[in-house]
Amino acid sequence: MTRYPNMEQVTGDFYTQNFEKGAREGSLILNMGPQHPSTHGVLRIILELDGEYILRCDPVLGYLHRMHEKMGESKTYRGFIPNMGRVDYGCPLPWNWAFVGAVEKLAGIEVPERAEYIRVITTEMNRITSHLLWWGAYILDLGAFTPIMYAFDEREWLLDLLQTPTGSRLTYSSFRVGGVGHDIDDKFIEGLKAFIPYFRSRLPMYKDLVTDNIILRKRVEDIGPMPLDMCRRYGATGPVIRGSGLAYDIRRAEPYGIYDRFDFEIPTQDTCCCMGRYKVRLAEFEQSLRILEQAVDQIPDGPIIMDKAPKPSWKPPKGEVYFAVEGARGKTSVYLVSDGTKSPYRVKLRAPGFSNLSLFAEAAQGTLLADAVAILGSLDLIIPEIDR
Amino acid sequence: MKIPIELIRIVVALVAVMAWVGLNALLLVYCERKYAGHIQRRPGPFEVGPHGIIQPLIDGLKLMAKQLLMPDGADAILFWLAPILSMIPVLLLFLCIPYSPLLTGWEVNLGLLLILAFAGLNVLALLLAGWGSNNKWGLLGAARAVSQSVAYEIPLLLAVLAIAFQTGTLNLTEIVNGQGSWPWQWNIIVQPLAFLIYFTSILGETNRAPFDLPEAESELTAGFHTEYSSMGFGLFFMAEYANMVVVCSVATVLFLGGWKGPFFDGWWWFLAKTYVLLFVMIWLRWTYPRVRFDQLLNINWKWLLPLAVANLLGTAFLMKVFA
Amino acid sequence: MMDKLFAGVRIRCLEKADYDKTGQKWSVFLAPNTLLKAVARLNDDGWFLEDVCAVDSVEGFLVLYHFDHWQKSGRLSLKVLVPHDDPRVPSISGMYQGALWHERETHDFHGIVFEGHPNLIPLLLPAEADFHPLVKDAKSRLPLKDLMVLGEVVSCEESIQALFPEEAEEAAAEQGGEEAEAEAES
Repeated sequence: MTRYPNMEQVTGDFYTQNFEKGAREGSLILNMGPQHPSTHGVLRIILELDGEYILRCDPVLGYLHRMHEKMGESKTYRGFIPNMGRVDYGCPLPWNWAFVGAVEKLAGIEVPERAEYIRVITTEMNRITSHLLWWGAYILDLGAFTPIMYAFDEREWLLDLLQTPTGSRLTYSSFRVGGVGHDIDDKFIEGLKAFIPYFRSRLPMYKDLVTDNIILRKRVEDIGPMPLDMCRRYGATGPVIRGSGLAYDIRRAEPYGIYDRFDFEIPTQDTCCCMGRYKVRLAEFEQSLRILEQAVDQIPDGPIIMDKAPKPSWKPPKGEVYFAVEGARGKTSVYLVSDGTKSPYRVKLRAPGFSNLSLFAEAAQGTLLADAVAILGSLDLIIPEIDR
Repeated sequence: MKIPIELIRIVVALVAVMAWVGLNALLLVYCERKYAGHIQRRPGPFEVGPHGIIQPLIDGLKLMAKQLLMPDGADAILFWLAPILSMIPVLLLFLCIPYSPLLTGWEVNLGLLLILAFAGLNVLALLLAGWGSNNKWGLLGAARAVSQSVAYEIPLLLAVLAIAFQTGTLNLTEIVNGQGSWPWQWNIIVQPLAFLIYFTSILGETNRAPFDLPEAESELTAGFHTEYSSMGFGLFFMAEYANMVVVCSVATVLFLGGWKGPFFDGWWWFLAKTYVLLFVMIWLRWTYPRVRFDQLLNINWKWLLPLAVANLLGTAFLMKVFA
Repeated sequence: MMDKLFAGVRIRCLEKADYDKTGQKWSVFLAPNTLLKAVARLNDDGWFLEDVCAVDSVEGFLVLYHFDHWQKSGRLSLKVLVPHDDPRVPSISGMYQGALWHERETHDFHGIVFEGHPNLIPLLLPAEADFHPLVKDAKSRLPLKDLMVLGEVVSCEESIQALFPEEAEEAAAEQGGEEAEAEAES
């Protein structure tokens, strides 16, 4: 044993040692991540393997923990919005919405019509970019390199468009309490109107090239079953639960903003497997396009932010509020306690990925390593959101 | 003292082969990156030289200039032996490939056997690399590499054997001579099933996608060569590309009429055919996802092997009936 | 509806919250020892766990469990008040495995001990962290009455009612949190 100059590395850190306590004789403890190509950032999973079968696994979080909740206690309500752009880089606008929505609910603020429409349009565009990112990365996890380039081609178009109303390409923080920060112009509308039919015409190609591919289907069909009861015990939401056959979408279950005005479906798949979750997300492209089409047609003129919008020194009334929106990954919500001062007393961010990932350890048990990668990818993880 | 002319020939051929392997690796890397680029709707390497043509050369230089690292607790001898062991047999393989009647490094009667025997050595190198580097990912990769190579060697052998049955020789030059100039006179017409089995098996044998499980990036980070840097990795890399060229060359000899073409027989035909096959391999890699390991073995044991046996028996039977 | 659901469980305070203002339909104060019983009822009724978190106040840590239902719309929050010097709550992870991580996180942030949790090790903070970032110092802690209001009270024990002196009176007059709002505007 003295051969190793750095014993600590060999015996593992606190988490590995804690995990090893329950290990079976002769099994292999494998540390996957935080630097691993398919853990999507800095997730770390400790695995106990028998050959390539997973006996037990335990995700270790916290490598990207920034304590947004503590930051919230010292920032003003307006100053906290940029944090919301950084909680989830894949789909930040629902987080924006969750926070400003919570504050608006607390203070009873009405948002102007046009701002509501801009919120819907940008959020749905963000949902598409997020799903495109997931789609490309997931296929990459399964070993095909090309689709992500195709996905990014479309994503790029949307990111270019989103620059106008949000001012950024990745960490959007354009929502304001009582409205939005920037208006959209005719050029944006034109660009979006051109994008919708183009993207629609690409979807069949995705299906032919990737979804119907026999190798892909064999890799994801019937892998990682997550029955509804399991989803309920873990509090899974979003495409994960819709892939298990339940049409639960906050946009319908707890309508917020103006989502009750739009005609769209909630796609579900009752196969409960990775393919179910995969197909749900692909079907959501079409639904988001439908919402976008209606919103672009209906958008009225008017102000984009309420009169006398809150200044940085603004103080909301006292009270607690819980506000949930449907993010690309599921139920994204903010619980806010206000003591009537400039900054919140307590902010709690409920990340959908957090609950979805907690399901992984149970779902991956007994599967092959390659299947675990497929299951992990099908949950659509964004680590900064999970670690917050 | 008189030096036998045969020895001089082999030495010259060996030197030429080394240059050829290096050149091929550069060319193939460039081709692969360009193909991949165009498949993915991007231009591929473009900065170094016109259309990025000397990019692979620069990459090679970069690899050579990097530090050679060995992890703590690795078995030094095995660790450094592995990349060399993966490279050397490949050089030998090139020796007996007949590019044209004149351009044959070493004409051996048992050329086919020699190639198959030395090709099998590669798996040993992968095993040593994975085992010697004291890395669990490497170990898993090595375990995969061994079971995959061993499995896929069998249908590959059986497919090749069918050709040997048919032509009655193991000499590669004679196998080419037994085929005509026109595509319908090639062995692929007589033995289409053997060709398919052979082609599928070489994907498994050379660890190319969709059968690239020993180095499956998204599962095993880099599999057996996780811990290799600099030219240690470079040798594996070159060996992999050289192996691709060898197996495609053999396919050209066995099934596609070697250097023969409808007009102007010569090595250019040989190269063209080999590169078409290589292009197909690259195309597959950039199109398909990766199979799972149990599926990979199932394809082999449940499909390729029975088919190859049936093909072999059928060939033997027909040979007996019509001979 | 809630009376029926929690029949036989000793509830310290049951109130119907104002959904338009708080995003919650029901809010239930519980003692730590009756928590598991109440959660078991929710489990049988098909509720799912949204999150577990805590709020630091003068009276102690208020541990919050937010539940929602797939079919019945409406959020229910279970509130358990535990003292600062001995913050112990039973773990609900036996019924809701999703709580495993939420409880570890709450343990990280507030130092609340979830009894019966199989693996209460740090989740988001480093293993060697010896602090609880969301515990406030005595000066900045506020009493619960400054943080939340009681909605329409269905039943309430005196001990809880005493925590919300003005609001409780107002609840009877069905004016909820209006005063708080007026206060903030001024």
